[in-house]
Amino acid sequence: MVNLGSAEQHLPIRDESDIISARHRAREVAKTLGFGAVDQSRIATAVSELTRNVVRYATDGRGEVVIRPRAQSERGTGLEIVVSDEGPGIADVEQALRDGFTSGPGMGMGLPGTKRLMDEMEIDSAPGQGTIVTIRKWRR
Amino acid sequence: MAQVPIIRVGEVLIASVQEDLRDQDALDLQVRLGDALEHTTARGVLIDVSVVETVDSFLGRLLNETATGARLLGAQTVVVGIRPAVAITLVELGLELQGVRTALDTDKGLALLRRLIAREDGHGQSRLR
Amino acid sequence: MSESGGRAPIPGGTQIAASQRQVNTIEQQRQTIQELQTPVIQVWDRILALPIVGSLDTARTQEMNEALLQKIVDTGSEIVILDITGVPVVDTAVAKHLLETVAASRLLGAEVLIVGLSTNTALTLVHLGLDLSGVTTRTTMAKGLELAFARLGLEVIRRSRRRVTVAHEPDDN
Repeated sequence: MVNLGSAEQHLPIRDESDIISARHRAREVAKTLGFGAVDQSRIATAVSELTRNVVRYATDGRGEVVIRPRAQSERGTGLEIVVSDEGPGIADVEQALRDGFTSGPGMGMGLPGTKRLMDEMEIDSAPGQGTIVTIRKWRR
Repeated sequence: MAQVPIIRVGEVLIASVQEDLRDQDALDLQVRLGDALEHTTARGVLIDVSVVETVDSFLGRLLNETATGARLLGAQTVVVGIRPAVAITLVELGLELQGVRTALDTDKGLALLRRLIAREDGHGQSRLR
Repeated sequence: MSESGGRAPIPGGTQIAASQRQVNTIEQQRQTIQELQTPVIQVWDRILALPIVGSLDTARTQEMNEALLQKIVDTGSEIVILDITGVPVVDTAVAKHLLETVAASRLLGAEVLIVGLSTNTALTLVHLGLDLSGVTTRTTMAKGLELAFARLGLEVIRRSRRRVTVAHEPDDN
């Protein structure tokens, strides 16, 4: 797997205005990579959802967004975004992915929807150990 | 805080959402619309999101709630200007905004509001001038 | 890919250009096929028709939705008649895709009427137990069009066939 090295970007998540900057930046990078308008929208929205989760439910509402362009021979060009925090973690990741929006507030809100928007999603989380959500979208 | 401007046109309150609405500004808009409906004779709310590139679950739910709240205050709500990319994304997210009436643009939105308000009145014509 | 240091010939300029042309042609043809498969037709002011021929998968639905929504914006259409007569199988997946099209169009202020439902398909959909309450359907395109006109407050009136002879008569007001 080849990373477009220097193009990787790290954005801190400190407060709700970072939700906007993160999704903006993600959209810009997606556009640069040649993603169409709808995919840009999917990516920006997914980043918005994940970043908001951090602001709302992580400890101090702090975390980080890493935007990483990816070039991989079989799948072509793609975008990988990692949203991480040191928050309370998700107790039951599988359940968080199953439940719909009607599930109560807390870490994991909006995850099923985000998963639908992306091609790949991985969640690394445990109670008390923070959360790392990795999402990927590949250009068709 | 970047306040979303609310303009009164006849019986309708028009709110044009600028891009990059922070969560707090969105909630603030909801409150101000409620206040306006409570203290004026406005019967309709038109929310224009044509400049908005990203509508996520927070904003989607907020629009739903605003429409429901307006209904309780005796007003109809129409959201206009949802972009194709946004519409597709919302549907894929699982947010179909079923409690919200929608129209393509402000013209059609106002026409729809007129019809909805007239229907509520039980008259053939709305008082909207 | 050529091997480094090996004796395999490294592709020359003309070969690269030729294969690039091939890729371009294939891409062009793919787009043409896509357009032919999902033609969005404006049959009347504010009424679009979208006859679907062939099976409907996720990728195709996505492309169809994008084209349809853009057409709704471009024409200001308020009614979309989606004709599924040519869709061979309507199962849960296809039904869900159709519901997505209906929902997305609604967000742009357009109502989708689905026509071309066979009795078989209707029964299948009922048995699948999906929530189709928000979907309006008719069996044929003609009936769909009739409903579309009604929704827009339009009426088709047959002209009288009686011939009226216009004679030159003095104006006697």
